[in-house]
Amino acid sequence: MAIMKALVYLFVYPGLLFLFVYSTFCEWFDRKLYARLQNRVGPAYTGRAGILQPIADFLKLLFKEDIIPENADRIIFSILPVIGVATVATAGLYLPLWNYDVSRTTFNSFQGDIIVVLYLLCLSTVILFLSGWHSTNFFSTIGGVRVLTMLFGYEVPLFLSVLSPAIVADSWRLAEVANFYQDFPFLLFFQIIGLFVALISLQAKLERTPFDIPHAETEIVGGTFTEFSGKKLAFFRLMTDIEMVVGSGLIATVFMAGFAGGLMGSLARFVLKTLIVIAILSIIRATFSRIRVDQMVVFSWKYLTPLAILQLLVSIIIKGVIK
Amino acid sequence: MNQAEIFEKIRTNLSAQITDISMPSPRRIFVSVAPEKLIETLKILKDDFGFYHLSTISGLDKITGFEVLYHLANSFVSLTVRVQIDRAKPEIISICEVIPGAILYEREIQDMFGIKVINIPDSRPLVLPDDWPEGEYPLRKDWNYQPPAETIPGEEQ
Amino acid sequence: MKKIKIPIGPQHPALKEPISLRITVEGEVIKDADVRLGYNHRGIEKLAESRTYVQNIYLMERICGICSHSHTTCFVQGVESLCGLEVPKRGLFIRMLVCELERIHSHYLWLGVAAHEAGFDSLFMYTWRDREVVMDLLEIISGNRVHYAINTIGGVRRDLSEVQKEKILEGIQFLKKRMEYYTNLGTTEPSFVARVSGVGILPKEKAMSLCAVGPTLRASGIASDIRKDDPYAAYDEIPFSVCTATSCDVLGRVVVRIKETMESIKIVEYLVKNLPSGEIKVRAPRKVKEGEAVSRYEAPRGENIHYIKSNGTDKPERVKVRAPTLANYPATIEMLKSGFIADIPLIFAAIDPCICCAERFVEVIDTKNENTQVLTMAEIKKRYSKSQGLKKGSSVWPL
Repeated sequence: MAIMKALVYLFVYPGLLFLFVYSTFCEWFDRKLYARLQNRVGPAYTGRAGILQPIADFLKLLFKEDIIPENADRIIFSILPVIGVATVATAGLYLPLWNYDVSRTTFNSFQGDIIVVLYLLCLSTVILFLSGWHSTNFFSTIGGVRVLTMLFGYEVPLFLSVLSPAIVADSWRLAEVANFYQDFPFLLFFQIIGLFVALISLQAKLERTPFDIPHAETEIVGGTFTEFSGKKLAFFRLMTDIEMVVGSGLIATVFMAGFAGGLMGSLARFVLKTLIVIAILSIIRATFSRIRVDQMVVFSWKYLTPLAILQLLVSIIIKGVIK
Repeated sequence: MNQAEIFEKIRTNLSAQITDISMPSPRRIFVSVAPEKLIETLKILKDDFGFYHLSTISGLDKITGFEVLYHLANSFVSLTVRVQIDRAKPEIISICEVIPGAILYEREIQDMFGIKVINIPDSRPLVLPDDWPEGEYPLRKDWNYQPPAETIPGEEQ
Repeated sequence: MKKIKIPIGPQHPALKEPISLRITVEGEVIKDADVRLGYNHRGIEKLAESRTYVQNIYLMERICGICSHSHTTCFVQGVESLCGLEVPKRGLFIRMLVCELERIHSHYLWLGVAAHEAGFDSLFMYTWRDREVVMDLLEIISGNRVHYAINTIGGVRRDLSEVQKEKILEGIQFLKKRMEYYTNLGTTEPSFVARVSGVGILPKEKAMSLCAVGPTLRASGIASDIRKDDPYAAYDEIPFSVCTATSCDVLGRVVVRIKETMESIKIVEYLVKNLPSGEIKVRAPRKVKEGEAVSRYEAPRGENIHYIKSNGTDKPERVKVRAPTLANYPATIEMLKSGFIADIPLIFAAIDPCICCAERFVEVIDTKNENTQVLTMAEIKKRYSKSQGLKKGSSVWPL
């Protein structure tokens, strides 16, 4: 029974199948909202209000010709997209949605899983860099270098801001952090700065405007994805979508008190809270223009990191007061 | 300074350089200059009359010879400096040292009329393909275009 | 760090038309730039020599899609001055009206393109939606959205009715309101301003010596506008000011274009309200007497110049066209140096490049073989092998 449950957990809910379906829905939601903000219609034809468009795009890409550049390392070039999807999907397993028990340690919930999620999300960025580097194309190489440059900018504020609620909750376990804030929701008000920093860092991590620098199409064509086509590109797009879901799920867990309630209750809360986060990300995407990579690094070290450190100080003070 | 004053001033000050001056319509002055006095004339025009802006360089095939027209402008009039070139020896001196912005127009003249521009800083073809056959100058009146046979790579017999 | 050469074009998402920029970069910093033209040649200058003046109006219209009216106006002005024709006031006013609407259209379009190059897609979508309004106005006046075909030698081809005037004033009010909003957005939105300010510096002296034209020149602080310097049509009796900026960067060019749009809206209002009555055109002779004319025109992108030489027949001896974009290329190369890779699309877009305008010379049509033939594949192959036999396998134009 436990094995069955674990298998369902891994492959159906909240594992691969759920992540796939829900991430395509989130992509649709993001695209539709972005389009409406720009006075466009957005996806409209596939399914009701174009809701199946991301799946249609995914399937279409699967059937497209798959080209590997002559100079590229065939094996690495081919397995990188799969590893990318695997890392972010694995990160999704640690979100405290279902099949966990706060009182004991399970394979999907343990002390320090917050670090594991952050680590896996960071790994996906490194995979983007590697894919750009192994494409042996000027544009891809520049894109890959930009991915790394940006990584040094946003990763520190993201870690600091996500960890500060955990410091107040006195736990490195996502389920416990969520439970703590379900018991003391007013403490979340002191995490507003952290939420702000985390949202912006997540936007940068997902490489969306104003931080879509690594694949700025008017500058370096497709950036890291320039040489990818067909199945590989489909997997990379899936990876970005799942990353968006996992990232917003992480923020919803630590800053919005997680997903209490049984199977259905937690699902409803998860959908609602992640959609709120994605809506904010979409609005940010629609209201800014792309900035340069040097401006991005300056911005994150001059403003985001100090803010995150301020949040850390606030958290430490609060913790002292509570004690 | 109005157009009549400029006209008078050019006629008197540049009498040593120019051979012919006319104003066929308002704010349009045409002057003729010998090829060897071109740079000197342009320098005077630029420094004393403010003709720093070169609108373009037109080439003209007159069958008997070529004509190169430098369309200059200041904020009052448009001045065209006309230079006659021998058809047997189509050469002209580059004016890039006086007006650096002339480079593209000179390259164009070189491509289109086969007028060799001496001292040009960059003599690569501008608008014609790199492998354009030698001696084909599209805007010459006697140019008769023969498209080369198309070769499809990989289908050689 | 190793220097690498990256090709921007002939096919690149930042370019709407083919041109090749070879950029040498060191990391993200541009060290050198080179431009290569010739991907968009249609041989219009050569073609113009074999067509009559009236046919040439329509040929000139097709030099460019966006500033089509600029080229026809420039051409007909030249021919009119050769013929000594006096165009009636009403005709001139309608001509200028289309000019200014075209300028508004072009600047709206440009603002959208610049926003897109900067990754600001929301502004791009908004401006292009509003651009529809001015295109509709142009359709009301001329019957066409892009190639207006309103000019003819000696005047214009369509008159303006009272209803049309009202519609124009209405549409202009909307455009004015929107442009005020974009003025605010384009000059205060922090991420956009961070992208454009201090980018693509072109100092005043450089702009002068490299013969830059139009908004690029005016953004470097030189108040040069053909409408003021060399008033064609009836611009000498219309009140308007020349817009300049002193910042010499892309932000300056944005500001200049936005201000110019506001000026153009004012001019359109003035033209519609003070439209004189009378004829719209005079009859023009078919043959043009011998002579030469230089016609200058302030296109949305800058100075447009046509040199026309007639030989007494109904066909011109020579038509030379210089579109504003070509004049701005040397300045662009100067601007690109010491910028970042991320600035290339913005700097290049800031001159509002119109590549099809700038290139128009080479004729690649076989003029001798006038009758078009439909060939089967077998015939083509036969011809091919025949030519191949003559050439002994060597390709004339190796790929």
